[in-house]
Amino acid sequence: MSNAQSPPPPPSKFTGPGSPQEVPPAPGDLGVDPAALPQPLRDELLAPDPVAIDTSASELKDGLNHCPKCGATDVRPKPGTDLLVCAFCRNEWHGERVEEQFGFGQGLDQLEGTVVASGARDIEADAASLRSFKCTGCGAEVTVNTANAMTARCHWCRHVFGVNEQVPNGAVPDAVLPFHIKKDDAIARIRQFVDKRKLLALKEFKAQFTPENVSAVYLPYMIVDGRASADVAGKGEIETRRYTQGSGKNQKTYYDADVYQVERHVDFTVDDLPLESSRERGNLDAKANTNNIINTILPFDTKNAVKWNASYLAGCSSEKRDLDVEHLRPRLEGQLLSIARAQVVESVSRYDRGVRWEQEGLDVHGTRWVAMYLPVWLYSYHQPGKNGGLLHYIAVNGRTGETMGSIPVQQWKLLLVALTVGTFLEGIAIWILASQ
Amino acid sequence: MSDDGGLSLLLLGPAGATGLYWALYRYYRNTDKSHAYERETTVDAKPVTGSEHKVGEVKGTQQTRISGDNVHDYRERVARMGPD
Repeated sequence: MSNAQSPPPPPSKFTGPGSPQEVPPAPGDLGVDPAALPQPLRDELLAPDPVAIDTSASELKDGLNHCPKCGATDVRPKPGTDLLVCAFCRNEWHGERVEEQFGFGQGLDQLEGTVVASGARDIEADAASLRSFKCTGCGAEVTVNTANAMTARCHWCRHVFGVNEQVPNGAVPDAVLPFHIKKDDAIARIRQFVDKRKLLALKEFKAQFTPENVSAVYLPYMIVDGRASADVAGKGEIETRRYTQGSGKNQKTYYDADVYQVERHVDFTVDDLPLESSRERGNLDAKANTNNIINTILPFDTKNAVKWNASYLAGCSSEKRDLDVEHLRPRLEGQLLSIARAQVVESVSRYDRGVRWEQEGLDVHGTRWVAMYLPVWLYSYHQPGKNGGLLHYIAVNGRTGETMGSIPVQQWKLLLVALTVGTFLEGIAIWILASQ
Repeated sequence: MSDDGGLSLLLLGPAGATGLYWALYRYYRNTDKSHAYERETTVDAKPVTGSEHKVGEVKGTQQTRISGDNVHDYRERVARMGPD
């Protein structure tokens, strides 16, 4: 074998507060063939998942707003006013969508520089009635609309605390996306999710499972629009010949290939890319926490977000934003590069032996940042263990109903199942060898 | 059967046990999941442009893919080009 190319330079480590390096599997991809598994395991794997409304890129759906009077979804803006009108019962109410009001959905292809939405000050904030508190139980920061309540329960550790533990801050977002999924629905989805994962779940988790304790939480995000250009360069190989040498069991297949230097350039815009703007929630290290669960239920139909009003937070808890635009820029650039790499895949499909990208570059022409509170139903279970144990979340997207969770595993049961199946397979292997 | 074939058949048990362990672990814990922004974000891309030219040949390799193939590992960052 000869290869004229020198080995690729070691990739530079991405040092920004990054997203997980692993591209998530396609929906429904289990990594194991259920047909080969025992009946009880197969039943669990094949049971239906909680249904989520598809708000993926191609069809971010509008018009899911329910009429508060009759619940119908046939709701339209009344021309010339800031009112919404229900086509079923003619009820009218206020619903100012920031998308239209501030033109957040327009001019993507002319974005220049960094445009940051004015935040609450310029959008009639209810800042005076908002107070942020530091939870003495776990240190989380929780926002309370003091017009409605003077005490609150921490949604992370369920600690109850009062107004006297205030920390001096009041970050109010530009917009809020109200809950659509009701509590009963969220409970049903969490129950359905857990029912699919009971056989090997931790005994204590099953004993203490009370989905009625689910909390309605508004989590802080930055919704980013961007216009960027990306370049990638690397080597691609096209197979020119395939032949076998040797015979019988020593037969081996060899390949010849042409090596190409490949360069690609793509200009693109992204619309409403959500980034966690809480430092803690943005840490997606799956070994240390289960924040990736909350990350997975993205995206939201952020096109339907309404102008900030603290009344939307009545009865819910929320978490304060503690990252600003510059903190989030490395993560945004990482995601834009990933998107660019996904965009160029089709253009290199002729390289049937794959492409090794060796260099990539990104030129961000313009970005627009909007702070938003997004609705999440959150159920948590604390598993005791080393270093304070692990907090497992089950999260339901408050708009689409997409459900994801981390269920603690009873290790000895899982090991027993794996060893039993392994022993069974080994038995077959030995039987085949012995019978030859 | 050759020794190679016998050995690889004997590995079936340990490999199957390990594979099933991780598959079930991930099914319960979902540690591999995250927001699939590459396919779930509205991206409006202009047609991809670029160039390619042949720089060499590989003869008689047994590898089925180019070494270091990362065409589908979108999130694996490689060396950054300097600003033009």
